[in-house]
Order: sequence, then structure tokens, then C-alpha cells
Amino acid sequence: MPDIINIIKGCLAGSRRDQELLYRRHAAKLYAVCLQYSGNDDEARDILQEGFIKIFENLIHYKNEGSFEGWMRRIVVNTALEKYRSKHNLYRVDDIDAIPEPDASPETDDYSGLEAGDLLMIIRDLPPKYRMVFNLYAIEGYSHKEISQMINISEGTSKSNLSRARIILQKKVSLYTGVNKKVISG
Amino acid sequence: MVNKEANIDLLFRNGLRDLEVLPPAEAWDNILPVIRRRQRPVILLRSAAVAAILLSISFLAYKWSREFSITPVNPFSAYENAVQPVDNPLQGRAARQLPFVVNNLTEQRTGYILAENRTVPVAASEENIPQPSVTYADVPENTISSDNIGIPVLASSATGLRYKTTVMDAGFRMPAETYYDIPAEKQKRWSVYAGASPDYYMRPGLNNTEVPDQIYQSEQSRISYSGGIGFAYKINRKLSIQSGIYYASVGNEVAGINSFAGFRPFDQTKGDHNFVVVTASGRIYTDNSDVFLRDISGDRVLTRYTNDVFDPVKSDLSYLSNSLYQNFSYLEMPFILRYKLIDKSIDFNLIGGLAYNFLVSNNVHTVIDGSRYNVGKTEGLNPILVSSSMGMGIEYNISDKFSLNLEPTFRYYLNPFGDMPGVKIHPYSFGVFSGLSFKF
Repeated sequence: MPDIINIIKGCLAGSRRDQELLYRRHAAKLYAVCLQYSGNDDEARDILQEGFIKIFENLIHYKNEGSFEGWMRRIVVNTALEKYRSKHNLYRVDDIDAIPEPDASPETDDYSGLEAGDLLMIIRDLPPKYRMVFNLYAIEGYSHKEISQMINISEGTSKSNLSRARIILQKKVSLYTGVNKKVISG
Repeated sequence: MVNKEANIDLLFRNGLRDLEVLPPAEAWDNILPVIRRRQRPVILLRSAAVAAILLSISFLAYKWSREFSITPVNPFSAYENAVQPVDNPLQGRAARQLPFVVNNLTEQRTGYILAENRTVPVAASEENIPQPSVTYADVPENTISSDNIGIPVLASSATGLRYKTTVMDAGFRMPAETYYDIPAEKQKRWSVYAGASPDYYMRPGLNNTEVPDQIYQSEQSRISYSGGIGFAYKINRKLSIQSGIYYASVGNEVAGINSFAGFRPFDQTKGDHNFVVVTASGRIYTDNSDVFLRDISGDRVLTRYTNDVFDPVKSDLSYLSNSLYQNFSYLEMPFILRYKLIDKSIDFNLIGGLAYNFLVSNNVHTVIDGSRYNVGKTEGLNPILVSSSMGMGIEYNISDKFSLNLEPTFRYYLNPFGDMPGVKIHPYSFGVFSGLSFKF
């Protein structure tokens, strides 16, 4: 199996085979990132396509420093950000009160019943502004200052959005785990 | 509470870390055509450069092979009628090795090839044939020798002494060190030339903050061109210096900026600078009050007519395009040194030097139905750019005075295009200059 350096060299030389190899090797992981940042599958596919186009165009600038996968992920996240910025005025931030309360509010942090697919579904259900801030802060590790510059909001708004995102996620996770427990115990 | 928040963060961070979801099958089919299309200009230029080099080398090889392999033609044939036959008193093999005196004869023919009273061993044969056929036989053994001159001579299989022309045939080569024997001929030291070149500009990557990188990624150089006239002075046989004046046009596409026409009735301000677009080369200021601009993917457009203030679609403005085109024109004064590597009918030169580029015009336009629609100007451009260039020149001498030039040249700009804070782009370009020069 050719290593990533050889694949990159092949891509830079215009080798169609290497371009496809690079895509096949990393598409599934990057598509999961796209889904995480988008509310619907069409948008996720668009982010993936635009992200990969940028990856191929910018391969020449990759300096083989750090993880190549991390470099690709940053490009995809930036693409998702651009997409978000172009549309964020069209979104309406849901009222927290409109989110249904779980039947029970378990105080336990037992999330053992949750799988990655469930987490993805939960995070995608978040309103876009909350989802974006939560993803950037909790998953990517950006600070509120950086996030405020990235999506043109104040630091206070970023903190507030994160807090609301956490509340929603907590409630939904509790809902999931509560339902699971009921199913298991029932 | 804090722990709970951290827990929910960790839950998602760890839970989603290794998640993989197969993308739709058509995703790759949509990616491939785009990357192939965008690679095409570079591939075409590289192919053109390689083709030019291969063609030149092939042609050179062909010329050399012809010079070494074809049946030689007597260079003195024009004089044959004027040459008086010389009787050879000697016959047989011994005669072939005797020196033969060629008084004045060669001078008469060439005016400079041989000095007077030089002895020339001449091939001889037992038969007397008026037009001897010339072969390569015995070439190493027969050499016209004289002071400082060694001339390989072709032997004749037939009688050669009646015609001295046969002994000084196409095998004749004047060694380089005998050039001092050549009477001073007026050398053509000056030449003028005219030509043009398509150029492809590229820009290095940026290691900067998010905003400049976002700007950078939305911009793409367009194929540019340059052309002009110049002159060259030959310092010596190998080295020459050249200068001139060129006109160069450089283009840049800024993608993702929607432009609309028909904004003038809605423009309530007196100034024209309703919109400012931040680009890697500088800031575009609109000077056309009829144009409306909107950034579809970022915050590059600075205006008071933001999305929440004005909607071009609701106001029924005419959509023009989603790209802006920056055009920069420069007058270029190069100072180039040219070193001749191969001095044949096709010359190979190494070229290197500096050029001063003076900005003479800049404008920004968009395109509607193939026509240009003026938008404004880019401010903050460096008025003078200094570029260094390096290349290889191929010069084909059509005649003594005229020659064709083909020069693949790499150019690097020593100072940045513009003064955009945080963005210092030193572009580089590749072009293939082709032109015609006249020596005098």
C-alpha cells in the first residue's frame, strides 16, 4: 500500500489514480466531520466536495509538518465555516423552551448506551449557531476569542451559545439514555 | 456543573473521534472534473515548456547529426573552374605521403584559410579521374598541417592531384584556437528584438491567520501576457547584456463576490466608494455607483449596505457575475545578462537578471455576457515591483542578421504586489518568451 507521501506526490503530479486513492482513504472520516457540522445530508455532501477540491488545490502547500489527516480536517472545517457564514442569516435559532423535556432527568452520567451514530444524530439536531460553537469549542478546541472572529460574533455570544448547546445536548443525551434504560429495564 | 459540562464535551469529542460514514457515491464524480479542470492551465504550460525543450533538443541533435553524417559537399566547388590543374610528377603510394605546396592557391579561394607557402599533404591516386569521388577513407592519416593549423583531409580513391580541391573538402574544420588568423571582421555587437510571452502567475501558500488565508484561497491568477521591444549588446563571444521596454498585463480573479447592476437609484450617498473588497493584492474601491457587491462566503466586502439593510434581489437589481477581475498593467524594464552555452546555428543561452516593473494602470471589472462591466480600482498596490528572472534561451539563427528566440523563463517578484497588512505575497511566474531579433 503506497504511503501518504507518495500519494501526495502522485496527486501533485496530476495522477488521477492517486487522487482517487487519497479520496477513498479519507472520505469516510471527513464525511463524518461534514455531517457533524451540517444539518442535512446535501449540505454535508457539498462541504465534502468543496473541502476535497480545496485539499487537492492546496496539497502543494502542505509542508509535511504534523498530521496530514489533521490538515485535511482543518480544511473541511474551514469549508463548513464558510458555508455557515454564507447562510447563517437564513437560520432561525430555536428557542430552548421549545425543546421537549425528557421524561426523566437522570442525574447520572452513564452514557454507556450511546453510540457514535447516536451522538452524531444528537449534535446534528442542534440549531446551527449552537452546533457550530459547540463543534469549534468542544471538538476542535478553539477558544471563544477565536470562535468570535471565525463566525463574527462576540465572545459573550460564543459563551452563551456554547452554554445553551450543552444544555440541549445534556437534555437530549439524558433523553436517549433514559429511553434506553427504560427499554432495557422494561 | 463544570464537571458535567466537561463530561458532555468529552462524550462528544471521544465518541465522534473515530466515526466514519461512507459518503454518497456521486461525491467523487463531482470532485474529479473540478480538480482536473483547475489543473489544466498548469499542465498545459508544463507540457508546452517540455515540448519546447524537447523540440529544440531534437532539432539541435538533427542538425548536428547532419553535419557529421551526410556526404560532404566540396565547399570550394565554386572555385573549381578557376583552379588550375597541377601536374603530379609522382605516382603510386609514395606520392600520397609527399607534401604538396599550395602557393597562393588557397588564398585565392578563401582569402584567409591558409597562409602562403604552407605545406599540405595531399592524397593521390594512380588513376586520373577529373571528378574524383570523395570518401572518408584514410581520413585520420591525412591532415593538412601548417603553422598552428591542422586540417583533416579526405582521401580520394581516384587521382587527386589534378584537382587540389578534393583534398580540402567538407571534412575541413578550423580549430577554435586558430581564430586569431581570421582577419578582423566587423562583429555584429548590437541587436534589437521584439517578442511576446504568455505568463502564468502562481502564488506561494500563506501561513497566516484565518482571514488572509480565506482571502487567498478565493483568488486565482489568470493567464497573463507580456510583450515589447529591446536591444542587446554583445560584450564578448559568450556574454551579452540586454534591456528594453515591455508591457505586461497581469490578471487576478476574485471568486465568490456577487455583483449586481442597477444600484444607482438606491444609492443615497454622495461618494462612489460604496463598497470596499479586501483582496490579497489590496483593497478594491468601487468607482461605479451603479454596481452592488456582496460576498457570498465571507466578510470581504465592507459596506454600509449590508444584507439586513439592502437586498439586491428584492430590489430587482440585475445579477452580473460571481467573480471580480483585477487587471494590473506594468511597464517593465529588464536588465538581463545572457551567457551563451552553445554557439551553433542554434544557440543555447543561460539568462538571468532583474526587471523593474512600473504600475501604469489598474482596474477591476466583472463580466456580463462576455462584456466588461467596470467596477473600480485596487488601492494599495506597490507602484514599482522588482522581479528577478532566470531562464534558458534557444536562439535559432535564420541568417547572419536574423534569429528566432524561444526563452522559457521563471520569474520571482522580490517585493509583494500590495501592502495588505498580514499578507505579503511574492508571486512567481513562468512564461515562454518568443520573438525575433535583428543583429547589426
